[in-house]
Amino acid sequence: MLIFLMAVGLTVIFGLMDILNLAHGAFYMVGAYFGYVVFQTTDSFWISLAIGPLLAMALGFLLQFFVLQPLIDRGRTAHLDMALLTFGLLFFTIGLFDLIFFETLGLTFMSIDKPAGLGSYIDIGIPYPTYRLFVIVLGLIVALAVWLLLDRTVIGAVVRAGVDDREMVRAMGVNIYVVFACVFALGCWLAGLAGVVAGAGLSIDINMGVQILIPTLVVVVLGGLGSVKGCFFGALIVGMTETLSQAYVPALALFATYILLAAMLIFRPQGFFGRAPKTV
Amino acid sequence: MEHSQEDSGQGKNGSNVSNDDPMQPRAAREHKTFLYIASAGLLFLIAIPFFVGEYYVSLASEILIFAILTSGMNLLLGYTGLVSLGHAAFMGVGAYATAVGSSLLGYPVWFVMLASIFVSLLIAYGIGLLSVRTKAVQFLLITLAFGQMFHAIAEKTRYTGGDDGMTNIPRIDLSFMGLDADHDRAFYFFVLICFVIALAILRLVVDSPFGRVLVGIRENEKRMLALGYSTFPYKALAFGISGMLAGLAGSLWVQHSFFVNPHIMTWQMSGEALLMVIIGGSKAFFGPLLGAAFYVLAKDFLSDITEAYLMFFGLLFVLVVAFFNGGIAGFISRVFNKFKSPSGKDGQ
Repeated sequence: MLIFLMAVGLTVIFGLMDILNLAHGAFYMVGAYFGYVVFQTTDSFWISLAIGPLLAMALGFLLQFFVLQPLIDRGRTAHLDMALLTFGLLFFTIGLFDLIFFETLGLTFMSIDKPAGLGSYIDIGIPYPTYRLFVIVLGLIVALAVWLLLDRTVIGAVVRAGVDDREMVRAMGVNIYVVFACVFALGCWLAGLAGVVAGAGLSIDINMGVQILIPTLVVVVLGGLGSVKGCFFGALIVGMTETLSQAYVPALALFATYILLAAMLIFRPQGFFGRAPKTV
Repeated sequence: MEHSQEDSGQGKNGSNVSNDDPMQPRAAREHKTFLYIASAGLLFLIAIPFFVGEYYVSLASEILIFAILTSGMNLLLGYTGLVSLGHAAFMGVGAYATAVGSSLLGYPVWFVMLASIFVSLLIAYGIGLLSVRTKAVQFLLITLAFGQMFHAIAEKTRYTGGDDGMTNIPRIDLSFMGLDADHDRAFYFFVLICFVIALAILRLVVDSPFGRVLVGIRENEKRMLALGYSTFPYKALAFGISGMLAGLAGSLWVQHSFFVNPHIMTWQMSGEALLMVIIGGSKAFFGPLLGAAFYVLAKDFLSDITEAYLMFFGLLFVLVVAFFNGGIAGFISRVFNKFKSPSGKDGQ
């Protein structure tokens, strides 16, 4: 479900704005680390869940508005340039957090405490951690909200119109740059949210951003770039593949996911729910 | 060194015949410049071990090994316009093939090296055949997937030590020349020879009609298709050659460091190699060499100060991608061109 949260953010940014944001892992880290800082000062999971992702969101807005958009306007629309740039950003973030939290503050193991009431198990036939149930519910709510926002509201209509014909939307009096930056920020907020949630469920470390990025990419590709619905099924498939292969053929656990990704890219590059690729 | 303009220009005019005459001297002049730069560089590289200490000689070997890897990658990135995030896998294939052959099976190292280069060529070509059918971002993702698959295999295989890897890998036997490769200076010269051979092959490839087709694919794949080139085999072969050089780099790397573990196959490794190419300049033949040199030296320097050297590289990478598209090499040639002719064309 974590991966699902990540994937929704990534797919929104890619599908609507055509930017492959490899820095998504970085925003996930921002969420987790900032959530941790907030947690340390306020001692409340709920406050850090509310505030933690906001920094990621703000950074995402600034990045899109002041860095990526000007570059796109200068004619550097190539996907690869954007992918490379955000890739550099990911490296930068990893290094920065390593410097701040590990070298300067000497923190090696960090984790956000789960809130009271979500730390135990619930009996649904088998004992199941309440926190996981909470994550699943949260993920579903967020997914539904994002889907409603983009598919059923005027804001969503503006965004989709902006993707199709930027000039026309501007002519109708919409500041499309702000809209794009907001979408980017929304994607980053989702990553940050996933970061805080992960900070409580798992532990926070330097490699978390890189580790989650790959399964996220797999999910997004499986579901079809840009499709929220696809993300949901993609996440299910990846989750099942990982768990089942771990249970039955442990030697292939890591392997299976990548085979899935490679096969998908070869046979159906647009994913299960993606639109057929536009002719470039 | 920048072929792109003349090539695209040639295609746009569609009148190659009339262009041929003025083109010829320029190509010859370029070739001459290339030879000057290459021989000056070679002299410099030969001179290094006589002037610096053992540690820096070993560092220089490292630079050359990475330069082989990155130059190979650049055949894809700079000349063909394909970004691969899985090249560490081929480096790993070369490295593991060498380690298994020499350390576990006991074959002589020179034979194992040739074999591992051949193996990486085959594997890379096979993967290339599958991968090049996808485009742009999909290509990046599929190479990532294959790269991670190899990493997973290396981690799970007990035979090669799993996650721990293997140690005590022998270096090549140079005793027939009266040299002991275990000395870093002697090994440096061996690496240098491999490096020169690798770059010579690469230069031949780039200058050949085959290389021209690759540049054509980068500039406009549709037009190449329209001209009757089936681009898949070209791209797959470029991928294969590129992987072969990565394999050679891997094979030298295990001998250099005496050990191998799955870490050299991670995608972070591919990412760092990509960093080197971009920082050095992907449009120039020697760009990746400059990038590798800069990267290894800067990493050595920075890691004395802080573990978090990735931060600086990430930032640098962003700046290079955003503002200096040509990297170090692009910068140098721009400055150079300004001196030669103030009204000269911009390098971009």
